[in-house]
Amino acid sequence: MIALAAILAVTGATVGLGAYGVRFARTTSDLFVASRAVTPWWNAAAISGEYLSAASFLGIAGLQMKLGSGALWLPLGFTAGYLALLLFVAAPLRRFGAYTISDFAEARLRSPRLRTLSAAIVLLIGGFYLVPQLKGAGLTLGEVVGAPYWVGVVAVGGVVALNVALGGMRGITYVQAFQYWVKTFAIALPACLLLLHLGGLPERAAMFGRDYPRAPDGGLAVTLPGPTRATFPDAARVRAGGRELSVRAGERVLLPAGRVELPAGTAVPVADGTDAQTGVDWSAPVSAEGDASPLFVYSLLIATFLGTMGLPHILVRFYTNRDGPAARRTTVRVLGLLGLFYAFPAVYGALGRVLVPQLYLTGETDAVVLRLPEAAWPGLGGELLGALVAAGAFAAFMSTASGLLVSLAGAATHDFRRGVPRSPARRRLRFRLAALGAMVVPALLALVARGLDISVLVGWAFALAASTFCPLLLLGIWWERLTARGAAAGLVVGAGAATTAIFSGLVLEPSDRTLDALLTQPAVLSVPLAFATMALVSLSDRPARRPPDAELLALHAPEGLGLGLEEEDVDAVRA
Amino acid sequence: MSAPRTPRDELAEATPHGGLYLRRLIRSQLGLSMLALVAFGGFLGSLPLALYLLPGLHDVDVLGVPLPLVLIVLPPFPVFVAFGWLYARRAQALEQAFRELVEPRE
Repeated sequence: MIALAAILAVTGATVGLGAYGVRFARTTSDLFVASRAVTPWWNAAAISGEYLSAASFLGIAGLQMKLGSGALWLPLGFTAGYLALLLFVAAPLRRFGAYTISDFAEARLRSPRLRTLSAAIVLLIGGFYLVPQLKGAGLTLGEVVGAPYWVGVVAVGGVVALNVALGGMRGITYVQAFQYWVKTFAIALPACLLLLHLGGLPERAAMFGRDYPRAPDGGLAVTLPGPTRATFPDAARVRAGGRELSVRAGERVLLPAGRVELPAGTAVPVADGTDAQTGVDWSAPVSAEGDASPLFVYSLLIATFLGTMGLPHILVRFYTNRDGPAARRTTVRVLGLLGLFYAFPAVYGALGRVLVPQLYLTGETDAVVLRLPEAAWPGLGGELLGALVAAGAFAAFMSTASGLLVSLAGAATHDFRRGVPRSPARRRLRFRLAALGAMVVPALLALVARGLDISVLVGWAFALAASTFCPLLLLGIWWERLTARGAAAGLVVGAGAATTAIFSGLVLEPSDRTLDALLTQPAVLSVPLAFATMALVSLSDRPARRPPDAELLALHAPEGLGLGLEEEDVDAVRA
Repeated sequence: MSAPRTPRDELAEATPHGGLYLRRLIRSQLGLSMLALVAFGGFLGSLPLALYLLPGLHDVDVLGVPLPLVLIVLPPFPVFVAFGWLYARRAQALEQAFRELVEPRE
């Protein structure tokens, strides 16, 4: 009940702040890009708030618990992505004065068709990224109040869609900044208090040594929602479905739905999709093969390093910076704020491994952050901390989903149909309808994607972004010979290669670990392919197709010389 | 007699001369970004390889936690900020130099 109250408080505060923002949202320009007077600290907190999604709040710890400490490369990649953005994109793009990637594509290469293609990819990436947020919402509400999975999906989807439709982005800059601090507080405080309460790390042998996670003194009772195949790392005698069952080491058994009792000291069996690991294997960030193989780690780092800049909801935020240098200052602050947050998920993954090992059997390791506080600290203390992490998780879905939805609705209203309605009221109405409509498909997908890990789903969005918008932005900003045809070809090839790999990985489930890793995380192949296509097709184009220097000047000329698109020009164009 | 033409005018009027200035600016900024990328890539990229090649690090404990885990959870983030801060400062200086080049103040 405390947790439900905390969730309602966060949701209420979000909607309230959004509603407060409505009063400022007078023009379309306000709706899309809040006034440019937002300071770098506010902006950095807003960017971080928008970025820290269900994948960061629940997914990293969940994946770490499930697969091992190789998952901890994720937060490094998530943060490093902002360094790539800082080095190559932040300042030039802000100077260019485009609101979205589609704006950039059209204006830089003078091709309205490229705008439509980019918008389609925005919808694809944004949709991919919304699904895990909604999945997290369904999972959290289920853990906290025992609601069916679909209730959380529908509730959060509805609240976010309404909030975006009514508030626009002016509200959201401050809402997102607020959400960053909610999330950081909600993950940091319980982590520190739990470590203090436990007096350090318990059961180190199962965490870092040569032991498996085992049922605690007094045994472990798990209720399985359905029949579950599980592998027992050690020989054991268990009670399942009311009968005694004796299992050999390494045996894979079909456990019936219902109560399973593991006597004290039994090595906890693991559901299909996970390998039982001893602490030594589990805690190694890199291993010879599998989910922490160097190939997989590098592919993941590449996808996140290059994919961040291509996420549609991230770039929009950079236009709320006053000028190019402010965009750089903002990004440096983002690196610091993200680092602060990412110090903590690993605590949950490690403690969860020994304190809520039943998640290995149910397969729902994504719930580890939510379950840990009450498991580690039975009583009121754990309950309060549990309420805090639940509220933080909700802040995570709400903020990321809101940001994504603003971008999706923007793309849907502006980029597909020619001719914007003249009256502001009709324009607003169209944006609002698009915001509601863009939530429907991801919500439906989230209802069927329950079995997939949040971090895996998010990884796809990154791989897709890295294989499409990353080459478009990097070559568009820094290479004068890029042409519209080259860009279009690269976008199509990159998106095609990444989606094909991901879906064939899902369908084929290859037994070869290296191949499986490559299909799950295809960036290491699809990104170079997209770059090469873009460059080669552009080079084969007639030089006359190359746009003139004016665009390059607008991207790179420092402020104060009257050369680029200065503030007044941009406003005049948009008016 | 009209005022002497500055590089700024050449840039504003998009003359071939102005194009040279523009490309020089882009090249210098890109050079800086690539340098930062190589340095950063060297740092982050060598981390998985080092941990892969030195499995013995697992036996080193820091406050009860194996060293490789500590190494990937805490120290990289401050290093990221340091890279970002240094880069932003240098990029700013390059832009200032460009301003002084194209619009010399008397």
